[in-house]
Amino acid sequence: MIMIPLALFLLLATSCQKKITAPQSVQQFTIQSTVNFGSYLIKVALPEDYNGNKKYSTVYLLDGEDNFNFVASQCKKLSDKYAKENVLVVSIGYGHNRTLDYTPTNAAEGQGGAPAFMEFISKELIPRIESDFSVDTNRSSRVIIGHSFGGLFAAYAWTKHHSVFGNYLMLSPSLWYDNEIILQYEQENRASINNNNQLIFLGIGQLENVGRMQAPFQAFYNQIDRNYSGIKLLKNSVSQMDHVGSKNPNIMKGLEFYFQNK
Amino acid sequence: MKKSQLFITFLFSGILSSFAQNDSLNVPKKTSYKMTVEPGIGISPMPIMDMTLSNIVQVRITKRLSVISYTSIKENNLFLRTFNYIKSTNNYTLTQKLGAGPSFYRKRSIHTLSLLAGIKYDTYHETLNNPKFEKVDVTIKSWSPDVGMMYNIKLGKNKYYFSYRMYIPLFPYPIKTMDITGIDGNLANVSLEIGLGIRLK
Repeated sequence: MIMIPLALFLLLATSCQKKITAPQSVQQFTIQSTVNFGSYLIKVALPEDYNGNKKYSTVYLLDGEDNFNFVASQCKKLSDKYAKENVLVVSIGYGHNRTLDYTPTNAAEGQGGAPAFMEFISKELIPRIESDFSVDTNRSSRVIIGHSFGGLFAAYAWTKHHSVFGNYLMLSPSLWYDNEIILQYEQENRASINNNNQLIFLGIGQLENVGRMQAPFQAFYNQIDRNYSGIKLLKNSVSQMDHVGSKNPNIMKGLEFYFQNK
Repeated sequence: MKKSQLFITFLFSGILSSFAQNDSLNVPKKTSYKMTVEPGIGISPMPIMDMTLSNIVQVRITKRLSVISYTSIKENNLFLRTFNYIKSTNNYTLTQKLGAGPSFYRKRSIHTLSLLAGIKYDTYHETLNNPKFEKVDVTIKSWSPDVGMMYNIKLGKNKYYFSYRMYIPLFPYPIKTMDITGIDGNLANVSLEIGLGIRLK
């Protein structure tokens, strides 16, 4: 009997949630990677007024199965709000466990499949998107969004493969991973990263108090802020929210930052 | 009425009705009380690395209705304070809540369901001290509302008795946000506690 209140709460909470649907038309297909042998479900949300004669920017979304509709609907709202052309939102499903695909090295918490996953994105996914859809092929028109290990992967993409994406939304990135290996990558590749323009949004939740999120996040922000003079950089901490609860507010804030600077 | 208010009303009435079915109409003398204190210890099940010390003061103001004061300190992330060159200190949460709710009497137990509201103060300090990078210190201090429901059972009919309580927060979901991802913050503050109850009057 003592579990009745908790069970009721969970039942009602899940039944009361808002159903978010992508406002645009959606196409989907599967890519069987020849690089890491994963089978990735790809969904693409097209702008409502998609026109083959225009060149659209693309937003590549990690953990796409969880976040696709929300991100697509936010892009629509923000493109209307700022009177900017809407984007194609490309949801990348899971071809492997995310602890494999999103982690840069083999460590206690992950198996280090990010280099192969990055190769899949740059050599198989992006060429497919850019051949099937009318999109801008410049680096500055590509955005990557990731949360948690996805944020870690976005940071990895920036520090090790910065020629692929020009815009990075890193939400609660797991920068503690493998003794802060991403901070080391940034130091090692600073000179070459600086040759490119980039937009970086770093988001976190104020109540991410598990003893590993805040200090590496601040250290990463400091390193970027001090060493990249021309960068478009924004840091945001969502008050009263934790790791998962801060995700959607940071997606909204990060996308807004992107559309403002688009 | 806002959707969140409807949700809370529905939740509260649903739980009350589930208890009311078995409730006796009279307050048994042996389990009656005017004022109790219940110091206790507990855990937050998600994650299970937090530990709570709390105290409840409950005063019965009518035959059915009690007012409740709940005070707690929660030591967060108790067993993993150093990780990958990151040291975490002063990681705790203080809460003070007041509320009221009906009590239901059985032969050897008293069940109280209450709606509580108050404030929560979270603080923690993290230091990254990896020799490869510059040392970085971060201190977080956060005030937030703390609204939720507490189920409290008193077992035993003597001056000293066993107390169990469960607290289910209604913040940040659905009060701050209707986004279901916010429920992670609620679950982090669910608290299961046991304690020693003392009848003062």
